[in-house]
Order: sequence, then C-alpha cells, then structure tokens
Amino acid sequence: MDFLKKYLYPILTGVVILAALLVFSLNIPGNREANIIERAVLNILSPLLQPVSFAGRFFQESWDGYVQLVNTQRENIQLKEDIRKLNLRIVEGNEAFLANQRLERLLVMKKSVKAPTIAATVTGEDVTPWFRTLIINRGSSDGIREGMAVISADGIVGQTVKVSSSTSRVLLLTDHASGISATIQRSRARGVVKGKGEMLCSLEFATLEEDVKVGDIVISSGIGGIFLKGLPIGEVTMVKRGEYGIFQTISIRPKVNTAHLEEVLVVERGGYE
Amino acid sequence: MSRRDVFLFLCLVVTAVTIQVALLPLFIRPPFKPDLLLIIMVFVALRGTSDTCVPLAWTLGMINDIYSGLYFGLNAATFLISFLVIKSVSDRLYADSAILFVLTVSCVTLAVFAMNLLLTIMFTATPGITYSMISDIFPRILVNAFVASIVSSFHGFDEKVESA
Repeated sequence: MDFLKKYLYPILTGVVILAALLVFSLNIPGNREANIIERAVLNILSPLLQPVSFAGRFFQESWDGYVQLVNTQRENIQLKEDIRKLNLRIVEGNEAFLANQRLERLLVMKKSVKAPTIAATVTGEDVTPWFRTLIINRGSSDGIREGMAVISADGIVGQTVKVSSSTSRVLLLTDHASGISATIQRSRARGVVKGKGEMLCSLEFATLEEDVKVGDIVISSGIGGIFLKGLPIGEVTMVKRGEYGIFQTISIRPKVNTAHLEEVLVVERGGYE
Repeated sequence: MSRRDVFLFLCLVVTAVTIQVALLPLFIRPPFKPDLLLIIMVFVALRGTSDTCVPLAWTLGMINDIYSGLYFGLNAATFLISFLVIKSVSDRLYADSAILFVLTVSCVTLAVFAMNLLLTIMFTATPGITYSMISDIFPRILVNAFVASIVSSFHGFDEKVESA
C-alpha cells in the first residue's frame, strides 16, 4: 500500500499518457472520419456555434464600421485639409505661372523702351464710370511725376496724373480728357488719338487726303514729349470720309485691354515739374 | 456727434471707398458699380441732425473726386448742392421711411449726374463725355436704388412708433 501511495501520481500520469497514445494510435487508420466522440461534441456544440459566429461577425462589423470610423473620420478631415492645401498650391502655382508670362511680356516691352522704367501694380479703378483712370502703387517717392507715360506689354496705357508719395492715378487713353499725338504706322498719316469712353478711341484731325485703312496700326508719334515714338496705341476699326468737312472720322480699338490690367511700366522720362 | 460716432463714420467711409475702388472693379463692370459715398451722403442728409453734416457732405464729394477723373471739386460741389436741397426739405418728410430713402437716392443720382454733366460741359474740354455719361446713368440709378434698398433693410428704417 505504501508503494501505491508513494507512486500513485507518476503511475496515473503514465496511464493517462498511455491511454492518450492508445486513442491516438487507434484513430490513425481512420483519421479522416469523425469518431463517436468527435461527432457527439460537434453535434452538441453546433447549435451554439452559429449564433456566436453571427454575434461575432456583427461585433466585427460594428467595430470596423462604426467604432473604427472615429479614426477614419479624423483621417478624412486630415485628407480633406491636405487636398485643400494642395489645391491652394495648384492655384498659387497657376497664378505664379500666369504672372510669370505677363511679366515676361512686360520685360520684353521694357527692353524695347529706350528710357528707364518703373514697374507698378494696378491697385484700383475710378469710382465713377464716366471717367477712365486707374490707381497704381508707385508715387513721387519712386520718382514718378505727373505727365509720365504709362505702358503695358501691349502698348500705351495712358499717362500719370495726380501723383502722391506712394500712389499715382493713371489717365487712361480711353478717357475723354486724354489726347495722344499719333501716326499711322503704314502710311505715316498723323492725328491725335482721343478717348471715347469704354474701350474706344478716335483719331482726330486726320485730313481727307491722309491714307488710313481699317486694320492699320496706330503708334505714338513722339510729339508732345510724353510718349516715346513708336509705341503701339491701337488698330483702326472704322474709317468714314464724309462729303463735307476736312477731317476723316476714324475709330480705334486700343491694343491694351484696360479692364484686365494688372502690371504696368511707368516711363521715367518727361513729366511736369 | 460723439467721438465714437465719428470713428464709426470714418470706418464706414474708408470701407466704402476701399470696396468701390479696389474690390468692386474686379467683379462688376463700371456702369453697375454702386456709388456708395453718394448713398452715405443721402443717408446723412436725411437722418443727420447736426450742422456739421454740411462740410461732411462736401468732404464725401471731395473723397469721390480724389478717386475719380481729373476734376477735383466736381463731385464735392454737386454733393454739397444735393445735400443742401435734401436738408432743406428733410424736416418736413418722414425721413425714417425706407421708400423715401430709395427714392431720394435715385433722384440724387440723377441730380448729381445732371450737375456733373453741366459742369463738365461748361468748364472742361471733354466733348464726347455726354454720350458716355448718358449711356451709364440708367444702370447707375438702378444699382444705387438697389443698394439703397439693401441699406434700408437694416435696423433703423420704418420702425413702428410706440403710441403714447
């Protein structure tokens, strides 16, 4: 008895291991078929498995679809912010590209003008519609005086009037008070380009004998001391020769679209003291 | 006017000028730009109580001239005349009426146009300006009336008076 008491635990362990190995060895030939124990357990547990599986899936879907969306929402906000920043960069890039193109054209004009120039940006327009003036961000502290020519990449814009230390107003060539001595480039016929309001000018004092045709380019004659000779003013759009009178009626479309001006050059030459 | 009122009025004028000179030209064609200073002047003429409003109207016109055309003093004169005419009759009118405000703004726009045209023709060498001004006046009246109607929808117009 003492022997059994002393070695009961190792003996039982050995028997259990032996039984386990026995069960294992007995099932080896038919290892693909379920034995009675397996079938019983499977049968007992199968009604439980399905609902638990459903519940597990439901929990998983809830977790993925709702609880984890907290992170997704945060991620979504972050991505939207990134998209906004990237869009802003694209807009800035496009704007810089367009500004570069405009300034490049302005630089070509600057090189062709045989006088020092000051670049300026248009900051405002006339408050009333019947006068045509612009406000630029350069003034007397930059060396600008009244009566200086203002040009853009396409040609003459106007002349400076009412200069303060930091800003100046530009009387556009389309203003009724504007007058520029001009020449027809092809025939060298002369006249004075007067403003006629919105986007229109006329060539005054061109006699009936002068050769002027639709499509002729009008340039500054250099007379008057404000505008350099040869700067483009516009193109002849209409010529009317009446039976009476000594002058022709000539309409001109300015080369410069004053409604979309952003950068201009002020020619540092002449000007009133 | 108290210091606070003066400060608020200055802010209003500066804002109006900035909007009209730098902001509106980007989005609106010239004939459809409202004349904000003129609307302010009419408001002051109808609702102002102090005599200091007379130089104020002239100053508003002068500010308009600083940012418009070549002829400094043109709008100053026409604003002043318009102001004095409105002021002379405003005591007999129900100045709180929104309709009266809109109507006055429309009439003053027309009056300022007529006086500007007359003075420009008489004293300047701008022969073709008549056509430009006439072609722009009707949209201008409509736009000013529209802005005046927006202004009149703010607090202070057509308030019901409590019976005693």
